[in-house]
Amino acid sequence: MDTTSAGAPLIEGKMSYRQVTDTLSGTVERKPAKWWYAGMTLSTLAVLFGLWAMYTTVTVGLGTWGLNNSTAWGWDIINFVWWIGIGHAGTAFTIFLIVFRAKWAAAINRTAEAMTVFAVMCAGLFPLIHLGRLWLVFFIAPYPNTRGPLWVGYNSPLFWDVLAITTYLLLSVTLWYFGMIPDLATMRDRAKTKLSRTIYGFFSMGWIGSVRNWMRYEALTKILAGLAAPLVVSVHTIVSLNFAVSVIPGWHTTILPPYFFVGAIFSGFAMVLTIMILIRKAFPLTSFITMGHLNSISRVLIFGSMVIGLAYATELFIAWYSGVEYEMFTFFKSRATGRYATTFWIMVVCNAIIPQLLWFRKIRHSIGWLLAISIIINIGMWYERYVILISSLAQDFLPSSWVTFTPTIVDIGIYVGTFGIFFTGMLLFIRAIPMIAIFEVKDLAGEKREDHKPDEDKTEKT
Amino acid sequence: MNQKGIIGIFTTDWQMSDAIKRLREKNIPVTDAVTPFPAHGIMKQLGKESRLPFFSLAAGTGTIILVFAFLYYIAVIDYPIIYGGKPFFAFPTFVIIIYMLTILLTFILTVLAFQARTGLFPGKEIDDPVHRAGDERYIGGMTDDRFMVALGGEEGLSGEMHESASTILRESGAKEILEIKRS
Repeated sequence: MDTTSAGAPLIEGKMSYRQVTDTLSGTVERKPAKWWYAGMTLSTLAVLFGLWAMYTTVTVGLGTWGLNNSTAWGWDIINFVWWIGIGHAGTAFTIFLIVFRAKWAAAINRTAEAMTVFAVMCAGLFPLIHLGRLWLVFFIAPYPNTRGPLWVGYNSPLFWDVLAITTYLLLSVTLWYFGMIPDLATMRDRAKTKLSRTIYGFFSMGWIGSVRNWMRYEALTKILAGLAAPLVVSVHTIVSLNFAVSVIPGWHTTILPPYFFVGAIFSGFAMVLTIMILIRKAFPLTSFITMGHLNSISRVLIFGSMVIGLAYATELFIAWYSGVEYEMFTFFKSRATGRYATTFWIMVVCNAIIPQLLWFRKIRHSIGWLLAISIIINIGMWYERYVILISSLAQDFLPSSWVTFTPTIVDIGIYVGTFGIFFTGMLLFIRAIPMIAIFEVKDLAGEKREDHKPDEDKTEKT
Repeated sequence: MNQKGIIGIFTTDWQMSDAIKRLREKNIPVTDAVTPFPAHGIMKQLGKESRLPFFSLAAGTGTIILVFAFLYYIAVIDYPIIYGGKPFFAFPTFVIIIYMLTILLTFILTVLAFQARTGLFPGKEIDDPVHRAGDERYIGGMTDDRFMVALGGEEGLSGEMHESASTILRESGAKEILEIKRS
């Protein structure tokens, strides 16, 4: 029997193919509930707030942000790193499902990928608007130009980052879209109105599920997932190089790439857990998103939490062991005991200590606890980026250049705006597309040979 | 000539798989099979291994060479500039760009190759055996819970084959057997 890593069955109860199709496409076909409209209203308001803030940024300038000479990177980059980290889980699930053939990921994969797509969009917004002169963004494209002719700074991590994010966004959108073509075809064939039949028909690419196309389709998804696998590791690594290649104390350390990577997977899985719990609450999908699934995600979180804890300890150890006074100052004075002590300890408690509660079976099986812990982790991860960025920049080598950083309403507006974009995207996604891959789940359902008159059947099982 | 192709409609993948095995033994040509999910048993029987991975490998290798050549051209030939006394050809700084662009271009080329081979593109019309058979009742079944195997194709089956194919389909548990009307 197919089970999750925690040993629970992947689908609770026996279902026919028709039941699977009906249940999973039912989430799209029914009229949305009140909470959906409420959510849409809230997130649209958030988007509007964000649009105002972005408009102010572009028309007035970066002076409307809380930045100053020392903290040249503030909330923009904190939020960028935070969102990009959240985005990692979707691709990680795709790899679990397609490369490692972990069937339990089938129920979560598509929603996690949707999360990736919208989170990476939110993340990509920050590097764009923090350019200040947004309209000059094409300077980053390497083409023979009239500015010299100058080429882009191909040995700058900032340029690598642009490439990494673009590639990641394109690849995750492609994986997401191609992953749902067979289900869009199902929706097309079930469509009641001409309009929805036309729209689903257009995007389903005339898919009928012929065996030859399934062969090519599986080859394609395997290749795409295979290409995405190194990306998952490299995108946040490259983000970390933005910091690690500099000489700022607290950034200039070789542990940063693995530390960022694990942090990304950690926060991404926490976000997946939050969203899965909410979806499970809102839709009748408990037999597909089982406690076993939540249990499996929480086991990944324990692992992530321990690695993160180790990374925090290693940073402190290396700062002490290096004997560099600036490193000592940043880690022990500024972060652990000084001006940023509160944020530092919030980060440690939220990321390294509270998730350890998941060792207890009772807590892993309590929806309330899981929801709380998953949200606490993402708060902690936001503080982690805050500590890394602000503490290192605001108190650098020269005490005469020390400053404090306070975000302005525009900073807050853009951050709230990205929440708006993210949740608007997710809400539209759950309205328009079956959020669990129907065809993947069908593989686990239906009447199997072993259910059917086993004595008479002597042919080889296929 | 009164030859017709036929379609067997099943409700489970393994029954259809058995039918295909027996049809093959009788040398009855199986044109196509349509399933609502990737039924691996049937895929193994009917499908050819996709050559897409080889295409990707070639595309990836080509991209690595191209990107490397481009970077070398920029850094050494077109605009040599000294960064901190390092050589013009500083390979380590190329690595990440080569890595990223290889992934980017390889996946784009692979997707395009997939679309070229399958003929799938946004907005394509549906073209499947059931639509050709013109039986309204089963349209949509193939993406829901019906497994269909089409026999005979364009030429159709001769009378004798037609009969034995129908028998095999029925014995293996086909819920329905449709005849493909020829225009």
